[in-house]
Amino acid sequence: MTGFDAAMAREKATRIFDRDAGTIEASAYVDPDIYRLELENIFRRTWLFLAHETQIRAPGDFLATYMGEDPVVVVRQKDGGVKAFLNQCRHRGMRLCRSDAGKASNFTCVYHGWVYGLGGELVGVPLEEPAYGTVDRAAWSARPVPRIARYKGLIFGCWDENVPDFTDYLGDAAFYLDILLDRSPAGTEAIGGIHKWVIPCNWKFAAEQFASDSYHALFAHLSAAAVTMPDGSYSADWGGEGFQFTSDRGHGTGFLLDAGRREMLTAFVGPEVARYAMEEGMGSAIERLGAMRGQRMHAQHMTVFPNFSFLPSVNTVRVWHPKGPNEIEVWAWNLVEADASDAVKEAYRVGGLRSFSASGIFEQEDGENWVEIQRCLQGPVARDTVFHVGMGLGRPDAADPDLPGRLGWVFSEVAARGFYTQWQRLLADPDAPVIPSADHGEANHAAQ
Amino acid sequence: MPRNDAAMLETLILHHRIERFYYDEAALLDDRRYEEWLALFAEDIHYVMPLRTNRVRREWKLEYSAPQESAYFDEDHASLDMRVRKFASGTNWAEEPPSRTRHLIGNVRVDAGEGDEIAVRSAFIIYRNRLERQTEVFAGERQDVLRAEGDSFRIARRRILLDQATLLTSSLSFFF
Repeated sequence: MTGFDAAMAREKATRIFDRDAGTIEASAYVDPDIYRLELENIFRRTWLFLAHETQIRAPGDFLATYMGEDPVVVVRQKDGGVKAFLNQCRHRGMRLCRSDAGKASNFTCVYHGWVYGLGGELVGVPLEEPAYGTVDRAAWSARPVPRIARYKGLIFGCWDENVPDFTDYLGDAAFYLDILLDRSPAGTEAIGGIHKWVIPCNWKFAAEQFASDSYHALFAHLSAAAVTMPDGSYSADWGGEGFQFTSDRGHGTGFLLDAGRREMLTAFVGPEVARYAMEEGMGSAIERLGAMRGQRMHAQHMTVFPNFSFLPSVNTVRVWHPKGPNEIEVWAWNLVEADASDAVKEAYRVGGLRSFSASGIFEQEDGENWVEIQRCLQGPVARDTVFHVGMGLGRPDAADPDLPGRLGWVFSEVAARGFYTQWQRLLADPDAPVIPSADHGEANHAAQ
Repeated sequence: MPRNDAAMLETLILHHRIERFYYDEAALLDDRRYEEWLALFAEDIHYVMPLRTNRVRREWKLEYSAPQESAYFDEDHASLDMRVRKFASGTNWAEEPPSRTRHLIGNVRVDAGEGDEIAVRSAFIIYRNRLERQTEVFAGERQDVLRAEGDSFRIARRRILLDQATLLTSSLSFFF
């Protein structure tokens, strides 16, 4: 067992992804030093998803979750605000909150009984006076998540108090995220319950796929297409037109336009959802988002860097919590427009869990692929093999006046390369700003 | 238990028939005869596996997700049929090559019946092994409503209570 050499790990990260060649070495997905650097340089410095506002509605409502591998509690405050803190007693490190969710008036450590308030502030120490004299409450409160952002129903947190504001962190990606969140003036609400399951694979396979991979659906999900599509398969008429968006902050999305929207939405979540999205729900979506986002875009997948992913209109939302280089926990839930009818909400609930969840007929194959990739990475030859992330490399950028940001064709890996470019940049330099100061995008649009 | 012999015999026979029904059902799953398995379900089947969370004692009533909340399975006959047809598609990669499963059903308790419907609780242990060495074990309870039909039964409701909060599997591509 050798010690962790951060400089060597940074050098490794710099070497193993080659944006211009469109290659990534497999060790990126299995090397423990790379993983350790990811936790430090990415998960400690970027905005991470915590909760939907409606998952903690009333004062005292809490949710126990993770930021990277660090357990945190997210709590609705008495004044309606949201705070989050490390789920760890400052006395001897016991996990403070051991329920997945609930309502609390305080958090009492079951080890020695230190008591923390809803904001993580230390409020009680048994035998304080005779045993300690006094314990400095401010100094020994639970470690707070210093930055909290609330964006259109979603709550994000960041350990770095100097991180840029969340909307700046999103940049042009906000335009694409809003398709999930802003179709109705009433906003969204979470359908109750969080699906949690374990996939023995590296977190980047999942995050990258949701950023950049419409391509796999054509083959990986054939069996789901066989039982849900009108002719038992995707139509050749769908998919010619579509785009992929890449961000210098690592975010990415891909989507189709127009053809096949009703059929694919019906296949993914059922006819009632398709009817809602294309009829009663469409007016306000167009009014708020324009025709491009409200009417034309579909089959969209997206990742907000590093590990928050979702499918707008299917409305499945998830975090890929890293659990070591070889494992993730998927935490997935569904949202729905708050002003949708009960029948539509029920259709989203049932349609979502049947298609995209641990039992989902579209999702089952994703786990299968990532698990088997990971299992192949145990030998040295497999680990220093380079993989192809070169789709669309050297082709001119795509463009559309209604779509902001850097674009490629939907069947491209420009967003994957954007994801890994940001990944590499943050790994290589612990002081690199999470928003690059200059354009770090690949140079394939002008010269070639 | 009823006190007179005739009634007791009737109870034992019913219990035996239900156990036999479950063993035959388990064999259909373990033998991958999914179409025949689906035929055991009533047209109005509701097949559901709620989510489960870690909760403190005063919130135990919230341990399982409510009907209006999400679930690991929430199926009707058409969606179960879709899942069964997925197996037969030839491109069902999550089960291609297929898992080896063994469904063990025990602790069968026949509860009150109403009309031709019988409420039955049972425990299951499902062993699943696939590909080179992937192995998983699932334990839990099934709360069924069986409907008498001829010499046998149809399953009219099935509620599956899995003894896991975080699913220790990469996909639920098999049946309970």
